[in-house]
Amino acid sequence: MPETPENRVERIVSGLLRGRRLKLRGGDAEARDAIIMAARLAAARQGPQRMNPGFRQRLADELEAAPRQGWLTRRAALVAGVGALAGAIGGGLAVRGLQAERPSTAGRVIKPINGQWMDVGALADFPPGGARLVKAGSVGAFVYRSGDQVSAVSSMCSDLPCELWWDGSRSLLACPCHNRTFTPQGSSTGGQYPLPPLDIVEVRVTSEGRVEVLGV
Amino acid sequence: MTSEPHDSGDVVELPAASNAVDIALDELEMVYAFIYARVGNRADAEDLTQQVAMKAIPRLRQGAPASAIRGYLFATARSVLGGFWSTRLGLSESELHEDLLMAMPTGGYSQESADRAALILAALSDNYRRVLELRFLHGYSLKEVAAEMRSTVGAVKVMQLRALRAAAKVRLDA
Repeated sequence: MPETPENRVERIVSGLLRGRRLKLRGGDAEARDAIIMAARLAAARQGPQRMNPGFRQRLADELEAAPRQGWLTRRAALVAGVGALAGAIGGGLAVRGLQAERPSTAGRVIKPINGQWMDVGALADFPPGGARLVKAGSVGAFVYRSGDQVSAVSSMCSDLPCELWWDGSRSLLACPCHNRTFTPQGSSTGGQYPLPPLDIVEVRVTSEGRVEVLGV
Repeated sequence: MTSEPHDSGDVVELPAASNAVDIALDELEMVYAFIYARVGNRADAEDLTQQVAMKAIPRLRQGAPASAIRGYLFATARSVLGGFWSTRLGLSESELHEDLLMAMPTGGYSQESADRAALILAALSDNYRRVLELRFLHGYSLKEVAAEMRSTVGAVKVMQLRALRAAAKVRLDA
């Protein structure tokens, strides 16, 4: 038997009053005016709302991470004043065209103060297509080798303070503290929402075939 | 054969970037309140606010004044809300004109939502206002509303639907 309009609206109202997400079904459109008003009245009952601290932090992480490829020029910050956000974005746009290729999902580049290049082994010790955990002083990183190219990301999960491990069967970095994974380049995979990317660690291969990581 | 360090010349240190993020978050707090006042639940409000942040940020332009940033964020919020309702209920933006054209906050956390609700309820007949007040403002269950109004659960359900529809027809001057 089809759901009556009053039952349909009551189902939605009772969900809203319990703080649940609006779960609408086919046919709910016939009561759309009542549903929209119910959502508005449910909100009025709660009063003005602020973001939950966890959600605010997640947004902050995403904002920090997203335009890091040129987050903010100092001049933009000065010129824009209160409009520093716009400066940030403008700076990002201005810089983007000048930078070397880097995935839009790239994390922050770790630039330790007084950083030093530290030897972490011979290139031959790094299996192609695999990532190996190395320590460059206080900087922990997974160095990923693809052919003769190397890249590195922080060994710490971007969401929880846990050291990742390399899951060779899936070619992913996995966080032991929750069921989340990252590509060797640091982008989060799966999950209901993307996590901030892993921080980028500077790495290079010397002419002698040694892998060096910028650590401290 | 090497991966060179990235040039850091155009990237400011973390404190400045964090400040920019804080400014963005303060604006997004108002966007969140604006969206919450329309969807009435936290989960949808968070999803939509996140969409606004991700959509708006790459398109903001250098040197824009704060008012323009807020204007852009709220324009994006309206667009995202329009998409939300049209996807779920098949509503066109023109049907949502009143909801979407409501003034954006000028600062702080306004009582706009509660004030409008009070005005809308005040425009209803006594029975309709009563059922909505008990249900939404006092959080009564259907059974409690029925007892309070000396009616049946079935009759209250029908009255609730009619009252919501009547409330949706109330037009307030902007």
